Amino acid sequence: METNHKENAATRYFRQLKFTMRDPILLITVGVVFIFVFMFIVFPLISILKESMISEGGFTLSNYWGILSSRFNRHIIGNTLKLGITVAIFGTVIAFLFAYSTTYLAIPHKKIFNILSIMPMISPPFVISLSVILLFGRSGLISYEVFHVRNDVYGFWGLALTQTLSFFPIGYLMLRNLLQNIDPSVEEASQALGANRWKVFTTVTLPLMLPGLANAMLLIFIQSLADFGNAIVIGGNYTTMAVQIYQQGIGSYDMAGATALAVILLMISLLAYYIQNGVIGKKSYVTVTGKVAKERILIDNKKVTIPAYATCLMICIFVLSLYALVPIGAFVRLWGADYSFTMKWIIYVFTIGRKYIVDTTILALIATPIAGTLGMVSAFLIVRKAFPGRTFVEWSILMAIALPGTVIGLGYVLTYNSGPIILTGTGFILIMALVVRSFPVGTRSGIAALKQIDPSIEEAATISGANSSKVFRSITLPLIKPVFFSSLLYSFIRGMTLVSTIIFLVSANWQMLTVAIMNQVDQGLYGAANAYCLVLILLVATVMVIMKLLLRLFKIDINGDL
Amino acid sequence: MKKIIIALLVLVSLSTFLFASGAKENESLTVYTGMLEEHGAIVCQAFEEATGIETNYVRMSGGEIFARIKAEQENPQASVWYGGGSLTFIEADRLGLLQHYVSPVATDFPKQFKDNNGAWTGIYSGYLGFIGDKEWLDENNLTLPQTWDDLLNPAYKGEIVMAHPGSSSTAYNALVTILQLKGEEEGWKYLQKLNQNVRQYTKSGSGGGRMIQLHETGLTIGYLHDGIAFKREGYDHMVMTAPADGTGYEVGAVGIIKNSPNQEAAKKFIDFVLTAEVQEMGQTVNALQFLTNPDAVPPEECQQLVGTKLIEQDDEWAGANRSAFVEKFNELTLTTPPTK
Repeated sequence: METNHKENAATRYFRQLKFTMRDPILLITVGVVFIFVFMFIVFPLISILKESMISEGGFTLSNYWGILSSRFNRHIIGNTLKLGITVAIFGTVIAFLFAYSTTYLAIPHKKIFNILSIMPMISPPFVISLSVILLFGRSGLISYEVFHVRNDVYGFWGLALTQTLSFFPIGYLMLRNLLQNIDPSVEEASQALGANRWKVFTTVTLPLMLPGLANAMLLIFIQSLADFGNAIVIGGNYTTMAVQIYQQGIGSYDMAGATALAVILLMISLLAYYIQNGVIGKKSYVTVTGKVAKERILIDNKKVTIPAYATCLMICIFVLSLYALVPIGAFVRLWGADYSFTMKWIIYVFTIGRKYIVDTTILALIATPIAGTLGMVSAFLIVRKAFPGRTFVEWSILMAIALPGTVIGLGYVLTYNSGPIILTGTGFILIMALVVRSFPVGTRSGIAALKQIDPSIEEAATISGANSSKVFRSITLPLIKPVFFSSLLYSFIRGMTLVSTIIFLVSANWQMLTVAIMNQVDQGLYGAANAYCLVLILLVATVMVIMKLLLRLFKIDINGDL
Repeated sequence: MKKIIIALLVLVSLSTFLFASGAKENESLTVYTGMLEEHGAIVCQAFEEATGIETNYVRMSGGEIFARIKAEQENPQASVWYGGGSLTFIEADRLGLLQHYVSPVATDFPKQFKDNNGAWTGIYSGYLGFIGDKEWLDENNLTLPQTWDDLLNPAYKGEIVMAHPGSSSTAYNALVTILQLKGEEEGWKYLQKLNQNVRQYTKSGSGGGRMIQLHETGLTIGYLHDGIAFKREGYDHMVMTAPADGTGYEVGAVGIIKNSPNQEAAKKFIDFVLTAEVQEMGQTVNALQFLTNPDAVPPEECQQLVGTKLIEQDDEWAGANRSAFVEKFNELTLTTPPTK
């Protein structure tokens, strides 16, 4: 078997090509995905590689050598890894706790948990950092005014805390959908055979969750690696790679060094993905149908529900306290000095900032359906279809989230500011940037969800004569609908809150809210920053409510709340 | 899936509509500004009213504007770079990113406020100094440091915040000020000692001021006009002073981007922002620097700084040694991590 593996690769390639050619709709879809991946992930990436390896006309690796030989940079790489692993572990644990509690346990206030646990995603990341500083910093409202402790939040733990809060919601959305997709009868069968709750959890639920947990952990790890917003606000002297890339490229005008560091960061993310794939990817985690056949009997054992409820509640209260600052900050005249009521900032936002608000909403609304659909379609293609270049597509999509935003934005400018296609200054390139930064999460959750579903149903449909399109529409999509709608939601939120990627892409024609917020924070105008955030959060909330109403109107059941 | 593909195609073509709006109109002018958001807004609006040329701006930090202009050099998207330290302009000019233009308005400007070849022209200047939290100082029976050496006082240990020279032009200015004031060898020794007292190196030059604003730290090294602006807004606890043994300054500049569209309008814009009248507009939006136009009346708040002893700055030397100095600073602060 091993020996003829190699020659098989070529024949397999052509066999796949033949099959793909035979199904025109599949061919078109694959084509669209390929063009997108090439234009908005691969080419910009090549520009970045070029920037990092070509100096004064010649090829060189001196930038890489420069990084690896500097003790300062090695120290930073170590910092980044330590932080990423810590955040990935804590984030996944919290995400799982929330997902498990809201789907498996008989506890009250699930809806509130649901909403509050998604909150950290609705705002630009540095809002959390800023709130943590204002509440728990040296002169924090809670740490100093209440407990009289001069607390220093800057550094590793402050950063780990804010990143965990910022990124666990992604893991939560992903895991909740997976848990909802587990057929309770599997667990009930195990129980009927005499297993106790703990045994069911460890031998049935947990193994079924493994691909999802690994995926969530990977996503959180990668996001922590690429995070710039929190790291720059609360990192203090704990410098991470994403910050150093910015510092080197923007602060020291050394773009070549910065891009080289970014490529190293990308390598770390890909290595993490490779390890995850190697450990989890080879095993099978299918349940028979993937479709939940019956209502789950919720666990009401007090020994389980009370601690779970209490922990969720505490985390929610914590998150809530961070966000309570936003509306307060938007209406006080001068944070830290004069807490009298004012409408000044709101007026400021709607006069100077009106263009930011309108532009951002339009762009995010256009990007959302593209990202949502692209995420599901690419997940379907990757998991279910054998076509040439499949692995390449999967890896490229992953790379799109692994790169720090500043670098990917720069790659776009380098690629599309001159040459055959010029896109800079347009709204189009911003939309594509938003899509690229959000759809991979949809792809990852789609892949995790599809891996739970036995392909035999789809095969049955294919044998009965349905083409790819029919199979996708009437079998796959209904099975992964919850994932689809949460990825739509995620895309919209991400579109509204993305910062670092777009900083080089905003133009006089198209502006983005988050850039405005960053400018205000940079100038120390917390009132204006909070007012912008408030508007942004309200906009996202409105869209969420409208989406929910529409789903209800069309009687689409997405197994729970958005 | 057909429907999905159709829907996707519709959306993509819809978004290409937004393409069209990206095309540059000949009559409009795009400005990258490093000024305060409001400052950029009112000046662009005033220019539009005065000349009828549609003017749009994008606000970024000085370093971001530089990186963006460099990335866009094959096809510049903006014509004017308005606001940002002259050191950054010198760096950009070294790479040939700037179109030289000697504005007739700047003829009478002092020579340190403009480039002889017209690569950039100064619009304001600001002095480095110490900003402190009065409440914290009083609580600990301390006063503001009066000289650079005062910063080494052990009583300030763990309370001084400054920006990192690698990411902030403010901090780099402070670094080269120290090296010029004390000589290179003594200067590095001084910085090593100062590092013992430093609590945190922020990324942005205004970061320290913001931490004082929120009582997050006791002392910072930064541009005094930032502190003055916070104070005028109502943060009364902020106190500031310029070091008596001499200090560095920055010149905020304006320049034209090479090969950019609509250069005639860009020149008009430069002439416009150099006039005394427009320079004085900054005060209305809390930009409280000294002005470069000799006819302009600087903000009242600046009066307290008149007579500050300034050092003789060698910007060419500072620019040429930048990476070496930053690298050295990185190693130096890593070997002795700041302790509380």
